Amino acid sequence: MLQQRSSTPIEILRYALIVVILTASLFPIAWLIITSFKPADDIMVSPPRFIFTPTLDNYTYALHKANFMHFIQNTLYVAVVSTVFVIVLSSLASYSFARYNPGGGNILFFILTTKMFPAIAVVLPYFLIFKEIGDTAVGKALGIGLDRPGALIVSYTMFNLPFAIWLMVSFFQDIPRELEDSARLDGYNRLQVLWRVVLPLAAPGIAVTAIFCLLFSWNEFLFAYILTRDAARTITVGVESFFTLRGILWGPVAAAATISVAPMLVFVLILQRYMVRGLTFGAVRG
Amino acid sequence: MATITLENVSKTYAGNVEAVRNINFEVKNGEFVALLGPSGCGKSSTMRMIAGLEEITGGTIYFDGKPVNRLRPRDRKVAMAFETYALYPTLTVYENLAFPLRSAGWSQAQVDAKVQEFARLLELTRLLHRMPGELSGGQAQRIGLARALVREPAVFLLDEPISHLDTRQRFRMRQIIKRLHLEKGYTMIYVTHDQEEAMAMADRIVVMHEGVIRQIGASTEIYRDPADDFVAGFVGEPPMNFLEGAPNLCDGAWMFRSGDRQFPFPNWLQSHGDKLPAALKMGIRPYDVSVSLDSSAPCDAKGEVFVCENMCDYSVVTVDMADVRFQAVTPPSFSANRHQPVSLKFDPTFMRFFDKSTGKAIQVSTNVQRINE
Repeated sequence: MLQQRSSTPIEILRYALIVVILTASLFPIAWLIITSFKPADDIMVSPPRFIFTPTLDNYTYALHKANFMHFIQNTLYVAVVSTVFVIVLSSLASYSFARYNPGGGNILFFILTTKMFPAIAVVLPYFLIFKEIGDTAVGKALGIGLDRPGALIVSYTMFNLPFAIWLMVSFFQDIPRELEDSARLDGYNRLQVLWRVVLPLAAPGIAVTAIFCLLFSWNEFLFAYILTRDAARTITVGVESFFTLRGILWGPVAAAATISVAPMLVFVLILQRYMVRGLTFGAVRG
Repeated sequence: MATITLENVSKTYAGNVEAVRNINFEVKNGEFVALLGPSGCGKSSTMRMIAGLEEITGGTIYFDGKPVNRLRPRDRKVAMAFETYALYPTLTVYENLAFPLRSAGWSQAQVDAKVQEFARLLELTRLLHRMPGELSGGQAQRIGLARALVREPAVFLLDEPISHLDTRQRFRMRQIIKRLHLEKGYTMIYVTHDQEEAMAMADRIVVMHEGVIRQIGASTEIYRDPADDFVAGFVGEPPMNFLEGAPNLCDGAWMFRSGDRQFPFPNWLQSHGDKLPAALKMGIRPYDVSVSLDSSAPCDAKGEVFVCENMCDYSVVTVDMADVRFQAVTPPSFSANRHQPVSLKFDPTFMRFFDKSTGKAIQVSTNVQRINE
């Protein structure tokens, strides 16, 4: 009976679709990785060569000549610090929205409206603002200003915060209020309740939010392109620097891109379990 | 242990929603009081104010004569069991029970002794190492009770603790809670919308409706002498039957007349017939209505059978009387087909009368003045 079911036309169609979707989504990554190991002469030939002598020249070029490690360090620093800021601010804010609903929903909606314009609309004002701040003593002390990581941290925090608050409000709303009542009767004050009871229960939600923020900051291009030049340059912009006047250096581009994809790929694979748990949070609460 | 006194207590939520209006009652030390009422009647708000989870917007709550309005929940020494159990899903049963004790700074040995004691009392010892997600509703609520009790509170509050459970579990939990009360002598306040739970467990019942107290009394009092038509209709299963009518003097005897039906007022009302309000409501419980298939027998009302439900221990007969529908509880041997004409006889001892305009019960025996109000 079961055997019969698995060979119906619908099942065949299902697997065919899976193959198509997997091919479409994995091909670019496969191309990227294969190309990163190809010698320069083998990259742009037609028909494409699948048998070639693998080389690490592209990686050597990207890491040493183009100083790609520096870009990775910058990106990691900016992404992690901005994510920490976003998580601290958004968990406090969304807990408050979930429990006390300040502004009767208006403030929550206002927060969303800050996501309603394209990034390009604010990047030039940001440029001017950071240019001015960068010349002040405060800007220098905090590392905020053009071509300083602080500028990207502030920008990414601003950009991720509304999204993070909206995502987390629903996680906090799903935590039964009685748990907090109960903890208050047990002798905890409101901050202790948040720290001891609410945050542990919201952990899967916080993890999901953190992953999204980290991925966004890691992959962000526009702000990094406009606001940094060299000292604070991040990998996405770094990859772009191989698009030279003399032509695109496909080999180093592919190597650099592979390097920039790898950490996030590993990170997401490790946290995949938490992400699924986080997204189905309502179903697992006690 | 503590005596709790509520004095003119009110709760107004933002947007001028009056959840509780000026209520007064006292729960004596060691007493089991149920707050009974339909959802939205203010019973939960009242309990949350006693617990300190909700701010008191008017009036004063006293514990042993001391006002507690400004005290935080932890300082009132109250414990609470919730409808949704409120167990911490990330902690084992043991840690759930230990949680309130650890927060009070107990040592591990003390914590362990206490947890084991209450686990035994509520038959939880086998479950101590499970996670809350692996428990049935009844088990989870027993743990909820145990967790509330480990701190040996002065007052024990229960907010619809068993209404999530299935019927069988509910019966069992009712006995456990009642027994716990008798054994430990806690002052207990129990919020419920289920009159059967309130009747089965409480020493006294406070009936609330739309933020005010309608009646306070022992279950028999509330069942037999409801203060108004709301209490009369809310308490009792199947619900009380009501018949609207007016007093009518006929051959020197006061009669209750409703449409073309007429029957004499019970003796205790006869001498006050002239003081009765012009519009009345008669209430009679289905257990006090007898049904006869003999249409020539003397009766108070006639009708035809709508449906007859045989519950094996008894039968519930619903009788259509054109303007109203009455229910009567009969022996299980009684059976009738639909549309079959029947005559009804009401036990005069248990007829109750209400002023139709105010809903208040007509009470002669306790206070003659009531009639003139």
